[in-house]
Amino acid sequence: MKLEGRYTLPAAPAAVWERLNDPAILAKSLPGVESLEPDGPDRYRARIQYRVGAISGNFVGTVELSEKKPPHSMRLKTSARGAPGFFNGDGRLALAAKGAETEVRYAGEIQVGGMLAALGQRMVESAARKSIEEFFQVLAASLKPSPG
Amino acid sequence: MIPAAFEYFAPKSLDEALRLVDRHGGEAKLLAGGHSLLPLMKLRLAAPRYVIDLGRVRALRSIREEGGRLVVGALATHADIESSDLVRLKCPLLAETASEIGDVQVRNRGTIGGSLAHADPAADYPAAVLALDAEIVAASNSATRTIPAAEFFVDLLTTALRPGEILTEIRLPVAGRQAGAAYRKLHQPASGFALVGIAARLSLDSAGRIVSIGLGVTGVAVRAYRATAAEQALASKKPNPKLVADAAAKVAEGVEPLADIHASAAYRRASAAVYARRAIEAALLRAAGKKT
Amino acid sequence: MATATRYVGKPLKRKEDPRLIQGAAHYVDDIELHGALHLGIVRSPYAHARIRSIDTARARNAPGVLAVLTAEDVRAIGPIPCAAQIPDLKPAPRLVLATDTARFVGEGVAAVVAADRYRLRDALDLVEVDYEALPAVVDPEKALRKDSPRVHAGLADNVAYRWELEGGDLKKAFRQADRIVKLRITNQRLIPMAMEPRAVLARFEPGEDRLTLWSSSQIPHILRTQIAAMLKFPETGVYVIVPEVGGGFGSKLNVYPEEALACHLAMKLGKPVRWTETRRENFLCTIHGRDQIAEMEFAVKRDGALLGLRARILADLGAYYQLLTPLIPTLTGLMIGGCYRIPSLRVEITGVLTNKMATDAYRGAGRPEATYFIERSMDYLAAELKKDPVELRRKNMPLPKEFPYATATGLIYDTANYQGALDLALKKVAYKKLRRDQAALRKKGRWIGIGLSSYVEICALGPSSAMPAGGWESATVRIEPTGRVRVLTGSSPHGQGEETSFAQIAADFIGVSPDDVTVVHGDTSAVPYGIGTFGSRTLAVGGTAIYHCLEKLRDKLLKIAGHLLQDDPVKLELRDKKIFLKRDPKKSIALGEVIGAAYTAKTLPAGVAPGLEATDFYEPSNFTFPFGTHVAVVEVDPETGGTKLLKYVAVDDCGKVVNPLLVEGQVQGGIAQSIGQVFLEEAVFDEQGQLLTGELMDYAVPRAADIPWIESFRTVTPTPVNPLGAKGVGEAGTIGATPALVNAVVDALAHLGVRHLDMPLKNERVWKAIREASAPAAGKGKRSK
Repeated sequence: MKLEGRYTLPAAPAAVWERLNDPAILAKSLPGVESLEPDGPDRYRARIQYRVGAISGNFVGTVELSEKKPPHSMRLKTSARGAPGFFNGDGRLALAAKGAETEVRYAGEIQVGGMLAALGQRMVESAARKSIEEFFQVLAASLKPSPG
Repeated sequence: MIPAAFEYFAPKSLDEALRLVDRHGGEAKLLAGGHSLLPLMKLRLAAPRYVIDLGRVRALRSIREEGGRLVVGALATHADIESSDLVRLKCPLLAETASEIGDVQVRNRGTIGGSLAHADPAADYPAAVLALDAEIVAASNSATRTIPAAEFFVDLLTTALRPGEILTEIRLPVAGRQAGAAYRKLHQPASGFALVGIAARLSLDSAGRIVSIGLGVTGVAVRAYRATAAEQALASKKPNPKLVADAAAKVAEGVEPLADIHASAAYRRASAAVYARRAIEAALLRAAGKKT
Repeated sequence: MATATRYVGKPLKRKEDPRLIQGAAHYVDDIELHGALHLGIVRSPYAHARIRSIDTARARNAPGVLAVLTAEDVRAIGPIPCAAQIPDLKPAPRLVLATDTARFVGEGVAAVVAADRYRLRDALDLVEVDYEALPAVVDPEKALRKDSPRVHAGLADNVAYRWELEGGDLKKAFRQADRIVKLRITNQRLIPMAMEPRAVLARFEPGEDRLTLWSSSQIPHILRTQIAAMLKFPETGVYVIVPEVGGGFGSKLNVYPEEALACHLAMKLGKPVRWTETRRENFLCTIHGRDQIAEMEFAVKRDGALLGLRARILADLGAYYQLLTPLIPTLTGLMIGGCYRIPSLRVEITGVLTNKMATDAYRGAGRPEATYFIERSMDYLAAELKKDPVELRRKNMPLPKEFPYATATGLIYDTANYQGALDLALKKVAYKKLRRDQAALRKKGRWIGIGLSSYVEICALGPSSAMPAGGWESATVRIEPTGRVRVLTGSSPHGQGEETSFAQIAADFIGVSPDDVTVVHGDTSAVPYGIGTFGSRTLAVGGTAIYHCLEKLRDKLLKIAGHLLQDDPVKLELRDKKIFLKRDPKKSIALGEVIGAAYTAKTLPAGVAPGLEATDFYEPSNFTFPFGTHVAVVEVDPETGGTKLLKYVAVDDCGKVVNPLLVEGQVQGGIAQSIGQVFLEEAVFDEQGQLLTGELMDYAVPRAADIPWIESFRTVTPTPVNPLGAKGVGEAGTIGATPALVNAVVDALAHLGVRHLDMPLKNERVWKAIREASAPAAGKGKRSK
């Protein structure tokens, strides 16, 4: 299923770009990611414990950044497998300055298989949207000057 | 359809249940009627290490009137609520909503507390408790607090309940005179969940003006919500068919409807307007003392 | 029937029911064998993937696990059999576990055996399969494109076969036509959804070299033969037993990997091995039904006379062939002309491979598709030609005196009175008044639709010359020394109620009560080799074999009685456990005494052998062709597109009826399944081949509350094909109802200019049609009048 949207982050594109390329920040902001270990340039091995409400599952997979045009756009791919099945996310992020802030537009596709597919489209799509929202929220928080 | 291994507890009192929740925290799941949790566990989309079965905490199943409010225990089943004379008399909207849930088997097992705590975006009760301005009572080891329905549904499958809390009861205002309410629902034909569910509650003054109104909407968005734009279009007005239809058309205003194989966003939006109008019309008839 | 019919024709309650209602029946999963192990299958989550490697070590070492197998370990097991013989069918063999490529979501890639179900389930998650996802093809039309991914890399494209059938002079028909009318119709993919999923239990006894397989199947003997061949095990050592079966609808008319795997593992491990399908597996890897797209093109005269039909049918076969997969669409081809006089006809079928589970026989198997295509077309034609749909049908129906009627597709329809069934249906539904009411209500803003379907189906499958693996049926009837009658049938009823109807037939012949008759089926060591239960054949073909046995036994009883009474057997009659002289009933002998004589064998007439047993293998001379007319009345909610079924009248002619309760049950059940297809059911896949309706949470099946009171009536036109005069009725409801229901919904929207809608008619689809037709600017759905 296809997903798209936009989110405004409280910093200039250069700062956002930096955060997006920082594995420590990525690990913190990608929902459920417990660890992110480098596996080649712009490629990470991820352990994910995903959780939304009563639903949860453990996955291992990869996070990959590609087609990078700093600080304008990149492609972010995640693919993970676990006992409940697999999910693949493939999205493009486009950054644009908006005053002192950055508007990130995203467009991508989510694919799930195995038991995850049994959850039904409604749940999967809603969970994906929620995850994207959380991703940007954490990213936004990381861009705000820390209080002290 | 076999869940992963888990440790099972069957506390006999709320205190005992709270202690267990406190001890096992995030790795525990509360089991009420089991109609949301067990399917997920059997598909292994949920694998809690501890399951705390509330089934023996009898006190949580009571339905009573207390201090001018109807109090429904979290473990009251949909069938209990649907068939309770007290609920039918004091809060008919809740009984009507319960009667529209799933099928007989589901209603015999599923509970109101379980349904509210799971917060499925297409569950029926959220529409009713929102429309009714109900209060949800949550107990923890240290305190008991009351959460207004309007603040309870936070996000997809996510409520305002905190770790360590157990939803114990729902407090509902008792229907007054010249009040009417109705729940109208478009069923997802396979699961019986709401593709669109509208709970309308209103009361009229002696001049026939709407003095109070609540419209709860479920199934349409990622979480249940109050259709405030539609409510405002009717508040303090003397209703006529056009006014009602125009107000109903605002029921999904500002909302990004869900879309899936059962209903597109456009169909959800259009159906929400139709069902909202029908729910309001039925509530008005009932407020006027007519049968629907 | 050549004997008194005291029980045949009576609405006897089913002998099967008490045990089913009380939960005392035994299904495969209820059978307990000491030490039985549990089999589970690791299944591909991808519709198309290369299997790079499988790491079984963790699963193998998990507690309670006895074996983990991959394709490597089961190379000795032969492929899944396909019995369909289609010229130039491309090979698409399926092994019991995928070797290097998985071709649909749910295809097995590894098998795990554990001591109990819990540890088995845990272990399944420990098998690590490294997949490389490949592009999948899901849409049958896209599968035909040159650039489409190929389901089988070894094949040049995804076309499994092309099949053509032509009769009459089609060119001339199109030349002489006043109008050429075209319509594209889809018949969506469905999940058969038997209430009992598939289940298997296998036991090997090495001392006796005996392999016993319990399976929830419709074809015990064919399964036995195929399992013996797949495992290269002597068929004489294979015992297939089919206990109670909780529904099949064609989905258990097959041979599946789990049956062979359980047998193989039972032999390998020396313990019984069982497997019971989960509901999700039932969705993913038990056969699917329908999935055909038809382009119908008619040559017609202005007055409505049909001159010719060209039908192009695209059939989505899925990734592999199950037992009859490629054959099913050809049945659609044979019956595409329906109950009409269509002098010339050409059918072109393309069977296409996609990354989905195989389609195969699902209640009606090809005939509901044909009937839907032709009957939907008849309403469309009526609208195009501005004729009443009833009159258009009537005009093109052959008259009763024209039977046996040869169709342009080469079939001989045995006998019919189509007009009789049509007239009765119209009378029962009060058609003219209904049309007036419809017009009056439409003025008030209520949209009522009336839908008709006149069908003919092909049943009692069938003459062996036209069947992939023989179409006869067998029976043995034995009268035991105590006077009990044992009927052993090669058929394999699984809910149809033949334990009752066969007992009724036997009771009339032998002069006993149906309570004295026991019908045995499904146990291959007890009953003679048989074909099985499918294609509405069990009564008409299996029942006739029994009939022949009973004739022989009755004659033998009369012969012995004649000897004992010292009278001519032709002057004797058998009734109420007595054999008596027709002209002097007082001169009689008890049936028990005659049976005793047959077994003690001391006073038998010369040339009469002891014992009372007869066997018959009956080969039918033709199919039978039941028919009928169904009428549905629906109301559409103009605001939501919601539909409500207000009334349903079914008139079915299945020839002579042995038990009207059973007939009515079959008709109602069939119509219920049509209601499912028309309004609710559809196997929906995403572009990657994931089944989005893979649980009952998302795949809607009809429930009791969705089924209105069905008014069921019959006309009786006995078939000359068999002595029972019975034609078969197991699928009639599903065949007749689908077009009637869709036609009714389209009729409800006719005033908007809506001419056709594809199933399922979910609220949103109807709502969209209303919106598009009502939108002033669009004008697309509207046709000038």
